[in-house]
Amino acid sequence: MSTLEILALLIIVMVILVWRITWLASRVHRATMRAERTWSALDAALVGRARRAAELVTMPGIDPATALLVLDAAAAALEPDLCKGDRERAESDLSHVLDAVDPMLPTSPTELASERARASICRRLHNDAVATALFLRRRFTVRILRLAGRTAEPRPFEMEDGSIAL
Amino acid sequence: MTYRRRSLRVGMVCPYSFDVPGGVQNHVLGLARYLRESGHRPYVLAPGELGSSAADLGLEDFASAGVAMPVPYNGSVARVNFGPLSAARVRRWLRNGKFDLIHLHEPITPSISLLALWAAEQPVVATFHTATPRSRSMQLASGVLRAAIEKIDAGIAVSESARNVVIQHLGRDAVVIPNGIRFDDFAGGRHMPAERTAEWLRSAQQPRLVFIGRLDEPRKGLDVLLAALPLIKQARPNLQVIVAGQGSRLLPAGCRTLGTISEESKIALLGSADVFVAPQLARESFGIVLLEAMAAGVHVVASDLPSFVDLLGARHDRRRLGDVFTVGDHRALAQAVLQVLDHPDPMRAKRAQQAAQNYDWSSVGTTVLAIYRAALSTAPAKRTGSSMG
Repeated sequence: MSTLEILALLIIVMVILVWRITWLASRVHRATMRAERTWSALDAALVGRARRAAELVTMPGIDPATALLVLDAAAAALEPDLCKGDRERAESDLSHVLDAVDPMLPTSPTELASERARASICRRLHNDAVATALFLRRRFTVRILRLAGRTAEPRPFEMEDGSIAL
Repeated sequence: MTYRRRSLRVGMVCPYSFDVPGGVQNHVLGLARYLRESGHRPYVLAPGELGSSAADLGLEDFASAGVAMPVPYNGSVARVNFGPLSAARVRRWLRNGKFDLIHLHEPITPSISLLALWAAEQPVVATFHTATPRSRSMQLASGVLRAAIEKIDAGIAVSESARNVVIQHLGRDAVVIPNGIRFDDFAGGRHMPAERTAEWLRSAQQPRLVFIGRLDEPRKGLDVLLAALPLIKQARPNLQVIVAGQGSRLLPAGCRTLGTISEESKIALLGSADVFVAPQLARESFGIVLLEAMAAGVHVVASDLPSFVDLLGARHDRRRLGDVFTVGDHRALAQAVLQVLDHPDPMRAKRAQQAAQNYDWSSVGTTVLAIYRAALSTAPAKRTGSSMG
């Protein structure tokens, strides 16, 4: 093989390599961005759920003890600047409280039920997106070449959804 | 929420032709109908012609992806589209449709669904119908198609077992949303007016056992039922056995076949049945006919495939909705059928009917729409032309 041929071969290999790495980097970026977006959707859904839960207090015929229980759990979940662990606990508690009071409500709150379903769907989409992103970010090539850049590693959100019909 | 009230343009891709009846096709048609009834715009891309079974879809909403070719794939013959011509068709359909999102069915098969996933720039919702415990194609897919799989924004599985396949073989997750049925059609089937019923329906004085499914496909398990027939007939000589479904095959005496039946005849047939048998051997992701039988108030006897057990309950569960028997065991099938005929349990049939009502499109469709909204709310702004609120 002449020097020219070797050089040509080398260039082709390099081009393929660079193309593969760029492609991988774009996948890592896409997955990380999606995990960020699914988190904002989940965040919004959880806030929506807590707000709807708090609105139960105004339901005609609800007893004050139930109202207080729900309001306390909803307020805890809506607390600003909670760290992730605390938020997970507060949201789980809200799920448990909502499950507990559900049979005692004078009428079945359909809006709240759909907010709960939405939160549960968003959470599954988020954790799914996080798993995809983490799988990519932990690949050897991605770690060695730091293809994830300085973006923060996404983390799954673990909580009890409670008994919602899904 | 930006998408709360707006009417959505949904591009649905069905990998199988509407020329032939099938679970996925019915699901796509049912969902399209539900979406239209709730004020959205569904568009369907599928191979082949529209076919008479899909008459209510409307020609302007349907696009054909061309003729599908029969190719051996994953243990059976699949009629699929592939190649550059199909890919170009799919791309054109995606570009011209101006869809808010696309909904692919069975995306990980060599089909227009996969081509659409590859080309999609819109948010992608994908429904997985298969629940094969060891799906070769899925295993291969996770390596080769990793990048395409990553493009799915929201996965839907039709059963817990289908979801497990998605988790194990694709490394993704999915929300379980079962297939929908038109509950009212089936629940009203017992009171069909006499003039609309065919001759075969009127002789329903004897107890009647019904099987619905392809007659010539071994995995539908008709052989197990036929092997059990002598045992059943021995104890119940007057039992009428009616099988309905595509395909030709030689049946023993005392077993009647109706061939391919229309939706209306199916409703009438289930309405006249005493026992419905689902002897499937494998790969039945979701027992849609099972649900329809339950909606019609028929006692169900089914093989203990995971998805059937999910639906009916375990063998000795007191609250079970039907009876399951060991897959492929014709003696157990005979025993279960005779048990049902000798000791019918109207309360169980009633419970089963109530359970089937949860699978009506009105409730199943609401959850699908919730997934659409969730997928749209997580889509990047440039892909939908509208920002997240």
